[in-house]
Amino acid sequence: MSDSTTTRAHAGTASSPRALKMAPDLPRRPFDLRRWFFATGWRHIVGVIMVLYSVFPLLYVLSASLNPRGTLTGSNQLFSAIGLDAYARLLNDPDQPFAAWFGNTLLIAGVTAVCSVFLGALAAYSFSRMRFKGRRMGLMSVVLVQMFPQLLAVVAIFMVMSTISDIFPAIGLNTHIGLIMVYLGGALGVNTYLMYGFFNTVPTDIDEAAKIDGASHARIFFTIILRLVAPILAVVALLSFISTTNEFVVASILLIDPEKQTLAVGLYKLVSNPNYADWSAFSAGAVLAALPVMALFLFLQKYIVGGLTAGAVK
Amino acid sequence: MKVKTRSILTAGALATTAALVLAGCAGGADDSGDAAATSTLTVWVDAERVDALKDAAAAYQDKTGVEVDLVSKDVAKIKDDFIQQAPTGKGPDIVMGAHDWLGELVTNGVVAPIELSDKEGDFLEVAYKAATYDGNQYLLPYAVENLALLRNADLVPEAASSFDDMIAKGTAAGVELPFVVEQGAEGNPYHLYPFQTAFGAPVFGSNEGGYDATDLQLGNAGGEQFAQWLAAQGVAGTLSTEITGDIAKEKFTAGQAAFWLTGPWNVGAAVDAGINVEVDVIASPGPEAAQPFAGVKGFLLSETSKNKVAANDFLVNYLATEDVQTALYESGNILPALAASAEAASSDPIVGGFAAVGAEAVPMPAVPAMGSVWQFWGIAEAAIIDGADPVTIWQKLATDVQGAIG
Amino acid sequence: MSTLTDDEVTESESLPPTKRQRQAARLAEHASIGVRALLVKILLLGIVDAIAVWALFILVMKEQWVIGAIVLVVTLLANWIYFSPGKLPAKYLTPGVIFLVVFQIFVIVYTGYIGFTNYSTGHNSDKEQAVSALISSAQERVPDSPTYGVTVVENLEGLGVLVTDPDGDVSVGKPDSPLEPVRNATMDGGKAVAADGYTSLSFQQILTRQNEISSLSVPFSDDPNDGSLRTPDGQTGYLYTSSLVYDQAADTMTDTATGTVYTDQGTGAFTSADGEEMLPGWRINVGFDNFTRAFSEESIRDPLVNVIIWTIVFALISVASTFFLGLFLAIVFNDMRMKGRKFYRVLMILPYAFPAFLSALVWSGMLSESFGFVNQVVLGGAEIPWLTDPFLAKVSILMVNLWLGFPYMFLVCTGALQSIPDDVLEAAKMDGAKPWAIFRLIKLPLLLVSLAPLLISSFAFNFNNFNLIYMLTGGGPRDPLAGVNVGATDILISMVYKVAFTGQARDYGLASAFSIIIFIIVATISIIAFRRTKMLEELN
Repeated sequence: MSDSTTTRAHAGTASSPRALKMAPDLPRRPFDLRRWFFATGWRHIVGVIMVLYSVFPLLYVLSASLNPRGTLTGSNQLFSAIGLDAYARLLNDPDQPFAAWFGNTLLIAGVTAVCSVFLGALAAYSFSRMRFKGRRMGLMSVVLVQMFPQLLAVVAIFMVMSTISDIFPAIGLNTHIGLIMVYLGGALGVNTYLMYGFFNTVPTDIDEAAKIDGASHARIFFTIILRLVAPILAVVALLSFISTTNEFVVASILLIDPEKQTLAVGLYKLVSNPNYADWSAFSAGAVLAALPVMALFLFLQKYIVGGLTAGAVK
Repeated sequence: MKVKTRSILTAGALATTAALVLAGCAGGADDSGDAAATSTLTVWVDAERVDALKDAAAAYQDKTGVEVDLVSKDVAKIKDDFIQQAPTGKGPDIVMGAHDWLGELVTNGVVAPIELSDKEGDFLEVAYKAATYDGNQYLLPYAVENLALLRNADLVPEAASSFDDMIAKGTAAGVELPFVVEQGAEGNPYHLYPFQTAFGAPVFGSNEGGYDATDLQLGNAGGEQFAQWLAAQGVAGTLSTEITGDIAKEKFTAGQAAFWLTGPWNVGAAVDAGINVEVDVIASPGPEAAQPFAGVKGFLLSETSKNKVAANDFLVNYLATEDVQTALYESGNILPALAASAEAASSDPIVGGFAAVGAEAVPMPAVPAMGSVWQFWGIAEAAIIDGADPVTIWQKLATDVQGAIG
Repeated sequence: MSTLTDDEVTESESLPPTKRQRQAARLAEHASIGVRALLVKILLLGIVDAIAVWALFILVMKEQWVIGAIVLVVTLLANWIYFSPGKLPAKYLTPGVIFLVVFQIFVIVYTGYIGFTNYSTGHNSDKEQAVSALISSAQERVPDSPTYGVTVVENLEGLGVLVTDPDGDVSVGKPDSPLEPVRNATMDGGKAVAADGYTSLSFQQILTRQNEISSLSVPFSDDPNDGSLRTPDGQTGYLYTSSLVYDQAADTMTDTATGTVYTDQGTGAFTSADGEEMLPGWRINVGFDNFTRAFSEESIRDPLVNVIIWTIVFALISVASTFFLGLFLAIVFNDMRMKGRKFYRVLMILPYAFPAFLSALVWSGMLSESFGFVNQVVLGGAEIPWLTDPFLAKVSILMVNLWLGFPYMFLVCTGALQSIPDDVLEAAKMDGAKPWAIFRLIKLPLLLVSLAPLLISSFAFNFNNFNLIYMLTGGGPRDPLAGVNVGATDILISMVYKVAFTGQARDYGLASAFSIIIFIIVATISIIAFRRTKMLEELN
């Protein structure tokens, strides 16, 4: 029951292109409640329940961000006071360059997501389309490597970056490039696997046909395959973006200047001392930080559920 | 294979050109790098204190030409980051810290002593004591923090004379809770310590050098009395592990609690909420005065700093002066460690109230053995409040701690 | 990396191609490269090489031979890979592998190496630093000695100090010549600021030579017991004697008060004859000590079995619950006839988009026994000890982890569903298969083929999900009579954290050893699972 909307059709439009094709000029059937319920109505019930489950705890966060003197979990009376003080405090404090954090996060997470997808897709393509010695081992090890407990990783990462810093300060500690490089260490990971699985579902006849037309492997990869696997590229980009946005440990070690820091690092400082924790400002920051993620998801949604592969196979 | 040779040649040519250009840029950049001769002091500061220090740092730079670079750090990670980074030479020159870190920092060899003995009389006694570890001073104290009892003066106009009196007065006020103190599922020994000392059961005994980690006093007869008292309070509901810091704050600021045992950090929230706050001495449930822990905040000099002269000058000759400590107090609202500034600050009723309690306070132990105490202490107290047998649990606590200290 | 050794290229045919075929393929491949593609390739490699040449230039200047050699080899390898025909897999894998090796493999190897050292509180740097820290803490002020006014001065033989004592008497001295009286010194405000034959240093000059001045020590007299004058801030001086003497030749520390001699016996700290250690010490290699400790540590042995069982149960249930909920939702919202899917989807992503620790805090507040929303509002005032009863705390952990984790699975499944070709489903529908049968017999197996590795990796992630446990329950509730710092919801990694990092010392060596052990456990389980999922057979 996958969507087979074309890419140009807006995701989420209710009109089914297939239905349109079949009956372009028939009058609409009268509305039948039972049929509607069994087709899509029950889905709305599931949707409402899930939205409540997903969003309810976050209402505490929203409530705390709007309550000028709110505690995060002290009270079950949500939205007892509404005000934008916390947002104002967050945006106007020179010691907390929120705008800079926001920009840094978008930059770092965006670049990391794009590069991760690219590096991962390159690797997935070779795993999926080529046969070579050590292929199985390689596939296994990219997943296994990421199973190492990260409890002490910062000790080693700091050492590597500090060494790099001594030689090339431009890509060492306290630089965005340095942080992105560390994140790209994880580009060949389980996401590569996800893409690999998806690449495998693209029939090899497509490659063969293109080859016969005289296309090189690079051209096949960049012009044909990447388009066919767009859904999974979008998913991986989103996953990578979200995890980079929320990453705190490595970022807090590498980024020293406040104006270079990311949202996670900057916001955590607001609440790391329990005695002086400013939950209102932190919640406000978290709400604002969730906006780009939502925007990105809305933007990528049409790729994620685009029925491109289906079209290609036919 | 013509393609190959040609492309290699092209690439080689491109690479050489680009490399030369880049190397030229890099060379140019290198020359300008070392021109600045004045030294820079890197100071790691708790994120919420940067603001208070900004002016002091700028004034010092005007005075000496030494730039003070304040780096705001996450309080939860500042100590570990410092211990990890100091040996690499990448760490700060000066780090803000609490006196109870000293044991760990000195054992790791990452802090250098500073010469404070001439200024002993200038500081509050508790601050100077706290700055001393193993006979050396390592910390330049700038603020003293301790618990005190906040009273909602609209509900209870008069201070309580004892713990029971406080509960009685709080109950008479007719609000939801007579008294709140931050606990939690794992307990909170720091907040219960004043009641423990009221029964004459400090953690460690003392000798002339400070705390004596070999003399564990936790499990003495007073400790058992304290445990029995805890159990009684748990039954009566005056202490509850359900009351987290957030809930305590919510209840007091909403006017639903008459008394709140907390630190100066929460006064702002209560005042902002429109509560008429009075600061009292902690009402004692036992035969002795209720002595809370004093936490002394200050600055530490890194052993691996390459700017020790400037750092010493900044710490001892600048931060230990009355003007600076008073200015820090005014921007940070926390009791100064310098006696003269503390006295001036105490004219404020709130700060004065905390200072009066602080006069009774004892420095939190900085010996490494304290780590072994923390890991069992809160759990035991929480279990007693929740109804476990007080004497058994308390004795088990004493044996566990003794075993862990070794 | 073994993946880069082979240059065989075929297109997923099971038959190995003949040599001639391979040659033909390679030639065809080459001939098909367009001019533009070639130019792009040359340009990119040119940039890479330029950066490499520049880096090598810097490295040679800084005399970093090892790193220089690595950069050189990697650059040559990259050029060889991209300029020689064939080697396709390597061409596609190299960029990612370089990052993987530097920032993941190296990190693992280094952590492994720490596991064989005594890196912990008191042993956190090298011997040189330990000695200097010991000596600096051993400076004791001579009792009742006054504070001296100091001007740092210099002549041809080097730095010295011009000293004014509290009585106004002025003397001058150098590290190798004790203080001698000076006449005719220039005074300023009761402090001598200049003397004949010496240049006085301004504060700015002092700042540029701080290291020399920090270690400047001038003997007060010929009698060492009188102490030496040092000036911490370049303006005042104090007399110190050192309670420790370091003999560099013999490599011993001597306590001047007791006369005890501490020697380096290879234990990573100066040790006296009766075994007393002087801290700070330094990092040394201790072989398998940490591993033997890991298996003999008392606070771990007793609860170990329960903790391992709970860890595996926690990870399995977390993976299963998040996966099935995520898959169910992905299928439910994959029906294009439904209005408003966009709205539902974006709201369901939110739990994953918020910082997990914030959510965990909110949940712990909501699950509070007397004040929490769940008991107070949802259950109408029930008193259910969600986080304080050992069993319910486990249930709560799983509930919260489901909330945190289902959006990830939802996203992944939504993406993976797109890979199921429509015609297969259409055919099944034509044959009259029921939706449930289609799901069970077609969709699920197809999905599992591509998602199995993800589930395994999710299992590994939850196996090491330290943050959730730490934030929600801190491993609690704990039994106060157990005598160990391990609670009912502690998983292996959080137990390791408690053993290595709470108490008196933070023991990185022990924690690293545990990390390696845990890694071996997780990797073993995962490899078995990989084999079980027939994934490897599927690869062939």
